[in-house]
Order: sequence, then C-alpha cells, then structure tokens
Amino acid sequence: MELNNSKIKIKSKNLNVYYGNKQALHNINLEINNKEVTALIGPSGCGKSTFIRCINRMNDTIDICKVDGSIEIDGKEVNDKNVDVVTLREKIGMVFQKPNPFPKSIYDNIAYGPTIHGIGEKKDEMDKIVETSLKKAALWDEVKDRLNEPGTGLSGGQQQRLCIARALSVNPEVILMDEPCSSLDPIATAKIEELIDDLKKSYTIVIVTHSMAQAVRVSQKTGFFHLGKIIEVDTTEKIFKNPANKMTQDYITGRFG
Amino acid sequence: MNLLIFALIILFGLSSYYFGRSEARKLITTNKIKLNALPSYYGYYLGIWCGLPALIILSLWSLFEPTIIKMVILSNFSNVESKDLFYEQTLSFFNGNFTGELTNNIKIASEKYSSLNAIAYNSKIALLASAVIFSTSYAYKKVKSNNRARDDVELILKGLLFVSSLVAILTTIGIIVSLLFESIKFFSTINLFDFIFGTSWSPQRAFVRDASTITPEEYLELKDAFGSVPLFAGTAFIALIAMCVAVPIGLFSGIYLAEYASTKVRKYSKPIIEILAGIPTVVYGFFAALTVGPFFRTVGESLGLTVSSESALAAGLIMGVMIIPYISSLSDDVINSVPQSLRDGSYAVGATKSETIKKVIIPAALPGIIGSILLAVSRAIGETMIVVMAAGLAANLTINPLESTTTITTQIVMILVGDQEFDSPKTQAAFALGLTLFIATLFLNYIALRVVKKYREKYD
Amino acid sequence: MTKEERLKKRHNAEKRFRFYGLLSVSLAVIFVLVLIQNIVSKGSSAFSRTTIAADISFNADLLEIEGPITKQSLEEAEFYDLAVESILKIYPSKDSKEERQVLRLFSPDYEYEIKRYLIKNPDKINQVASVELTSSDDVDQLNKGNFPRDLPEDRRRVSNFQLNIYDNLVEEGKIGKKFNDYFFSKGDSRDPELAGIGGSLMGSFFTIIICLILSFPIAIMASIYLEEFAPKNRITDFIEININNLAAVPSIVYGLLGLGILLSVMDFPRSTPLVAGITLSLMTLPRIIIPCRASLKAVPPSIREAALSVGASKFQTVFHHVVPLAMPGTLSGTIIGLAQALGETAPLILIGMVAFVVDIPGTPVDPSASLPVQVYLWSEQAERGFVEKTSATIMMLLGFLIVMNFIAVYLRQKFEKKWN
Repeated sequence: MELNNSKIKIKSKNLNVYYGNKQALHNINLEINNKEVTALIGPSGCGKSTFIRCINRMNDTIDICKVDGSIEIDGKEVNDKNVDVVTLREKIGMVFQKPNPFPKSIYDNIAYGPTIHGIGEKKDEMDKIVETSLKKAALWDEVKDRLNEPGTGLSGGQQQRLCIARALSVNPEVILMDEPCSSLDPIATAKIEELIDDLKKSYTIVIVTHSMAQAVRVSQKTGFFHLGKIIEVDTTEKIFKNPANKMTQDYITGRFG
Repeated sequence: MNLLIFALIILFGLSSYYFGRSEARKLITTNKIKLNALPSYYGYYLGIWCGLPALIILSLWSLFEPTIIKMVILSNFSNVESKDLFYEQTLSFFNGNFTGELTNNIKIASEKYSSLNAIAYNSKIALLASAVIFSTSYAYKKVKSNNRARDDVELILKGLLFVSSLVAILTTIGIIVSLLFESIKFFSTINLFDFIFGTSWSPQRAFVRDASTITPEEYLELKDAFGSVPLFAGTAFIALIAMCVAVPIGLFSGIYLAEYASTKVRKYSKPIIEILAGIPTVVYGFFAALTVGPFFRTVGESLGLTVSSESALAAGLIMGVMIIPYISSLSDDVINSVPQSLRDGSYAVGATKSETIKKVIIPAALPGIIGSILLAVSRAIGETMIVVMAAGLAANLTINPLESTTTITTQIVMILVGDQEFDSPKTQAAFALGLTLFIATLFLNYIALRVVKKYREKYD
Repeated sequence: MTKEERLKKRHNAEKRFRFYGLLSVSLAVIFVLVLIQNIVSKGSSAFSRTTIAADISFNADLLEIEGPITKQSLEEAEFYDLAVESILKIYPSKDSKEERQVLRLFSPDYEYEIKRYLIKNPDKINQVASVELTSSDDVDQLNKGNFPRDLPEDRRRVSNFQLNIYDNLVEEGKIGKKFNDYFFSKGDSRDPELAGIGGSLMGSFFTIIICLILSFPIAIMASIYLEEFAPKNRITDFIEININNLAAVPSIVYGLLGLGILLSVMDFPRSTPLVAGITLSLMTLPRIIIPCRASLKAVPPSIREAALSVGASKFQTVFHHVVPLAMPGTLSGTIIGLAQALGETAPLILIGMVAFVVDIPGTPVDPSASLPVQVYLWSEQAERGFVEKTSATIMMLLGFLIVMNFIAVYLRQKFEKKWN
C-alpha cells in the first residue's frame, strides 16, 4: 500500500469543473503514476484538455471557470488557497496544442522561465541551462548556431520542441502536453514522440491526444474521457486490447468520435 | 433663384423617370420587345440623363460666377486702390445699402455689375435649358432602341460613387494648395532659414500691409519677427508634458482594462474613460484656464514659487488628460490582439501576470503601442483650443514648466482671429505655420498608421 | 536571496503593478467626475436669474405719445424717462452718483422690460404696477452667493450703498428668482445678465445640418465604392491613405483650408454657418468613412454570395442587401462624427465665427457663433456672470453630445446584427 502510494504522482478526487452554467467535467477520479506517460483520449470537447489545465491551474486564467473537488500532487492539494500558482507551475510544465514560442530569440525563449524564477543569474549558468534544456528537447544540434534568431522563425516541429525545452528549463517534475502534435506533420510528430519516450525517464508526463495510435505508441496508462466523464482508465495495453467498457471499445474501433 | 432652378431640374428629372418607365412599358406592350432591364431602370436612366448634367452645370456655374464677374469688373478699374474694398462698395451700392463716399467709379462699376449679372443669368438659363433638352433627347433615343438600361444606370452610379471617394483626395489637395499658396508668398518675403532657425517671434512687429512693397530696411526689421524656434520649442514642450501625463496613465489603464479588470469594472470604466475623448477641447481649455491654472498659481505661491497663471504645466497637464483615452483604448485593443497562446505559454512556466505583461505581452504589442503613442503625439501637437485658452501668447524660449510658452496652433489662431489682410506677411506666416504643422502631423500619422497596420497583419 | 524571499518579492511586484493599473483607471475616472462636477457647480446657477420687483407708475405723460395710445404707439414710445423716474423711487439717493448706482442694480434693458410689460398689460396705463425687472449681473451674482460680501468695499463690485439697498429689497421680499429664459432666447450681449445662447444654438444647428447634408451622402457613397467596387489598384490605395491621414489631420488645418479656399478664393460669406458647415463636413468626411467602411466590411460575404447566386447584379446585391444591413453601424458612425463636429472650435475661429453677433441668425448665411465658439468667447470675459454662463453653455453642449452618443450606441446595440 505504502509503495503503491509513492508511485502515484497526481491524484484527482471528485473533480467537477464548470464553465459558467455548463458543467465540463463530472466527478473525475484519476491517478497518474510517477515517471510514466499517461495518455488521455476521447472525442473532441470531452474535457481532456480541461482536466489537464486543472492540474497546473491554468483554468484560473479563465474568468467563468469554476473548479471544485480535489487534485493532489505528491499528496498536496493543488486547489488549496495557500498554494502559490507560480511555484505550482514551476513544478508542472505545459506544452500546448499549437506551438507558442514568444516573439523573442531562441535563447530568450528558454531563458525566460529561469530568469523569472531567479535561477541561473550568471551568464554562464544560464548558457548551461539553455544548452541542457535544448539538448533534452533534442533541438540543440539544430539551433546551436542560431540561438539569437527569433523562435518564431523555426519550423512547426522545431517550435514545438522549443516549447518543450522552455517547459524543461525550470526543472519541472510533471509535463502536461495538450495535443502537442496536432498541428505537426508526421515526421515532426515522430520526433516529438521519440522525445516523449526519452523524457519519461525523468519526468511524469500527461499527454492529451486524439490519435489513438499515438496513445498506444507513447503511453503506459490511458484514460478514456467522454462527455466530461471518465469512462475507463487502465494500462494502455488493456485499454486497446481488451477494454472493459463497451463505449471504449466503440471509440477505439472508430465507431464514433 | 438658384433654388428655384434646382427645384425645376429635380422636377424635370422626376417626370422623366416616370416618362421613361412608361415608355419602356409601352415597348413591351405595343412593340412586343423583350426589354433588357426592368422598366424602372429605363426611368432611372432617363431621369439621370435629364437631371445630372444640368445639376453639374448649375453648381459649377454658381461656384465660379461671382469670381468671374468680379474679375471682369475689376479689370476695367486697374487704377483703383484696394480693389477688394472697391468691389465691396460696388456690391453694397448695387444692393442699395451703401453708406459712405460715393465715387463715380462705383456708379459705373455698379451699372456694369448689373448688366453682367443680367447676361450671366440669361446665358445660364439658356445653357441649362439646352443641356436638359439635349441630354434628355439623347437618352430618350437610347431608351427607344432598348439599350441595356440597368448596366448603363449602374455605370453612371458607379462613376458617382467613385467621384465621391475622390473627395478625400480633393480635400488633401485643397489643404496643400491653400497652405502652400500663402506659404510661398511668405517665404518669398521672409527667408526660409530665418523662419526655421530664428529665435525671436513677434509678428505684431510686422506692421507692413503689403509684402510686395517692403524696403530692405524694413526687411531687416521683419527678419527677426518670424523666427519660429520658440514656437516649435513651446509646442514640443507642452506636448512633452502632455505625454508625460498621458503615456503612463493611458498605458497602465489600457493594461489594467485588458488584463486585470473584471468584466463588470471594464464595462463601466471603459466608457467613462472614453468620455474624456468625447469632451470638446474648448471645455478642457476653459477648465485649464479658469480652474487648473489659477489653482497651480495658488499652490505655487504658497510654496514660494512664481507660477504664471498661463503656465505650460497647466496646459500640458490638461492636454495629457485629454489624450489618455486615445492611448488607453488603442493599447487596450493592441494588447487584446496579442494571442492568448502567448499568455498561456508564459503562465505555464510559472510567470506571474505582471511578469507576463512586462516581458511577453508588451514586447509583443510594442509596435502597436508605439503607433498609438505617435498618434497621440500628433494629436497633442495639433491641439488648439487648450493651448489657445490656457497657454500664453508671448513666445518665450523656456524649459520652466511654470512659465508661459506659446505654440504653433496658438499663434495661428492669434494671427487669424478677427480681420486679416491677405497680403501682409503676418497673415501669410499663419499659413506657413499651418504648413509646418500639417507636414509634422502627416509625417507622424503616416508612420504611426504604417506601424499599427504592420502589427495588425502580424497577428491577424 | 532564498526562494521564499524571491517569491515574496515577485508577488509584491505583482501587487504593485496591479495597483498602478487600478490607480491609472481611477485617476482617469476621477478626472471625468471632477471636470463634470466643476462645470455643473459653476454653471447650474445660470439657469435662474435674479429679479427686482419695482413699482412702476405708468404715467402716460412721460411717454410723450401724441394721439391715441395704441399698441403701435407704445411700441414706438420712449420709456426711458418713465423707467428712470420709477426706479429711482425704490431707494432715496442724495446725488446723481448715487442715482447712477441705483440704476446700475438693474440690467440695462429695464426700459424695454417695462415697455414689454405695458404692451402686454395695456390696462395699466396711468396706474402703478409692480414689475419684476432683471437685476444687473452684480446683484445677480450677489444674490446667488457667488460674491463674498466681507471684502473691503474697493475690492467688491457692489458698493456699500448698493449692498444696503439690496439688503433692504431682500427684507421687503422684492428680490426674486426666475427661470432664466433669456439664456435660451437671447443672442450674445456685453452684459452677462442679458447674454444668451439663442444665437449660437441656431448657429450650431445650421452648421450641423449643413455638415450632415454634405458629409453623410458623400461618406456613404465613398465607403460603398471603396468597400464594394474599388479595384485593388494605385488610385484606391492612394484614396485609402488619404482618408486615413485626413482623419488624423489637426482640425485647425481645416480652418486654414476654409479660410484660404472658401473665404478668400470662393468669396463665401464670412462668419456664417454655411462656411462652417462646409469646412466641418470636409473634416468629418474621413471620420465618417472609416466607421462606414467597417460596418460594410462586417457584413459577411455569404450574404453577397446569396444575392449574387439568385442573379442579382453587383449593384442590386449591394443596395438591396449589404447597405441596409450595414445601416445601423453607418448611422451610428455618422452621429459620432457629427458630435465631434459639434464640439469643434478651432476651425470655426479661423473662418471668423468669433464675431460678436447679437442677432439670432435666421438662415445659414447670417453671421453667427456656435456653441463651442460661444464658450471660447465668453471665457475671455472678465465678469463673474460670464463664468456661470460659459459653464452653463458647456452643460448644454455636453448634453447634446451625450444625447447624440447615446443614440449612436443605442442604434448599434439595438439594430446591428452580430455575425458569427
């Protein structure tokens, strides 16, 4: 029991989310394991993105969004009043659907996070951080000679890896990925997937995807969302080979969604 | 009289509309022709052809008739002094309300005027009548031969629309011509360099009424009267004070409204701030001159400072307040058009809101913000009533905000208020100042609009 | 610096930044309120005028009317002697200097007010009647409490002697307050108690009407052309640049245009609403064209495609479908443009609308002032009464602007379709 507990990184209990009068999530109970890739699948609008935005409280930025229930990370409540979102988000990085590099140089894109958190105040320390982050994101070799060029000038796949590097730059424990490959071509997607496989050694990763193939390729555990409810969670193998729920079966075989 | 003619033309036009329509219907019933357009288009066609040429002739005629008659009459009296006055007298004698010394010339001119008027009137009527008859019969022939009336009407209307859009160009040309015309006369008397680099401005010394008769000695005197440096400096100084007020307050308000304010606060405070942009500037001028100026003076006195009651500070401050909404609403727009994904990216690495604003949003929105500030500067430079009422008239070269200074616009108003003599270098100087102002604001606006447009394209 | 200290510092910076924003918004809002409060507190007293009831003996002999007394003969009669004789009776004065001071308690128009009274009540001839006469500005301001009484006499506009009479009149209940109809019905005057905005109101009215007649159709036609028909070429680009720049050209430059072209070349009549209207319409045109184009642009292309697909011509499409749908936005843009023109002062000064005009203009070619110019003119006057009148004029002007803007907002919210 004790051992099992320490394996769980994030745990949500009876999580409900409302946008104004509309309920977006109903009683979500989900456990996400440490240093593993958890994939969330489901038809669009089912609440997958809403769920991961609750983990780093990105939903705070939406005025009409109201969250109740609990999400714990390492046993600590995320929605607690005393939790500082700034430190929370330092610990939980996020990568978005569309690559969103800042209109700054590649270097400054990575250095932004460490600077605001006061890490790497010396120039050579910062250089080191930029280098390691880019290396972890498998982008270093492609951009090391043009660190001062704008990040917006990179290709889509490179931009997305830059965003991953940006998320890594502040040494997070968890990385949330909201359909990171949906706007990329297959080659760039393959690169990102390879990267995710690599990153799971040191980070807990939650990835929202609508490609079931991708979920199979990258994740160890999969959760299936439908209409704001979680239908089934299990190991990826089990979900795709032998789902317990009829609806999951229908979805993965492509009958709806 | 013109009104009656105008009404007649409209009446003709209307009746030819109905006539054209019924003619077209007749074509269908009697000749069994399939029309190329709805009958009413034939009506429009005939109506337009009947009315439009006549109306154009009428308006051009009335526009140029007085000038031409004046020229013809005055050409006969080349020896008269002050031709404008003479012509005024002639007209008032003709209208029967003449007072003053009656000369023989006036009588002759007045008779001439009455005969010219009669000729003009008759020929106008003749011209209009023949225009109506000619163009209507031309159009009638076309209708009879079943032309493509809709296409023709649409072509004419399209031409009309195009001509309306040309008004913008005409206005620009009008501005440039009216400013250049007088300015060239001014610079043919006063050296351009004396105007641009001279440091003393006292146009009241330019007593000379006619610039063409200036002697070299008088010129030496005049040379120092039109140094515009104090005006440029005063304008820039007051604009600077205004921007010191408007930029921080406007920018912070814009940021607050775009990023922090709840929907409710935004809903109420945004229109209230925009009231500031709708208040006529004469009201600000009144407030600055009667309330703020004396208030600063009293405060200054109690602190042991000498404050002019027409201080640059009061004028600049109130001008700044006037400009706040221009900066706040433009930067609000600009900040709102920064994509949400950039904010998300910044929040996701754990930045606070203000860090996101300072380090991501403002740099991204910078071109737009700079554009809005440039537009505001151009507004500050061209603002007239506040400075006319609250800043001084004396051209002091000073950087003390508590003293009074003057601006380009103030001097234009001061020179041109009341009666002007068009040939005096003083009046021409106002147009030269106007030209400077026009060029400066045009330059600022052009750059600002380009910057903002480029920025918009980036995120659209 | 530890992590906690750093975090605290960051959060403090956040709070400070937020505070600056709130402070700026509050400052701007406070300024609006202060300005309006200042104007209203100064101007609201202008809507009443002080009257002094004086017993006038309508002694027919003093009117020196030959023949029978008719309305006609009363109109022509001199009332000065009659008026002075009765007015001087309100308080005994010992010399002509004091007599002058007594007369100066009243507005210079007292003889006409007495005349008007008698013409209205012809049965009062050879009788004594109490007539409410308009007081002079000094008494008016004294009565409204705008003049401090405890100043030394030489710094007061009202002498001790006059103050004495005033107090007496107050005790007798002869000082009254009336709605200031003069303020709305009269033209300009050198005496604040007789000055009104009637003339400038008409001037502004004619100006705005001319501005509307000229700018609205041209602006709509130009925007339709540019938005719907203009080919993408150099001329169109040039027109666009021109419009955008013209909208930002300082208004005083339009004044110079009016002066240089309309007045000196075309010989239009100076100081008239006609010239003002033309000048302002040139200024307003680009400011109307921009919102007009925006509202035409907001009509989705699907509407045009629908009309074209049933075989309508481009013109029919535009005039039957696009223009009606864009009308609310167009109208509201026009009204806002006209509101700006209504508040414009500088160009009107240059075309000579600053003349002192007593008569109320009956046509657009009569010399006149306009509301904002009236504000400018009166603000230059020293008398306290003009401060009050200026502020009241501003209140009227702001009132019109508020109504116009309200209509514009209403039109847009009520009738404009939201396209998704």
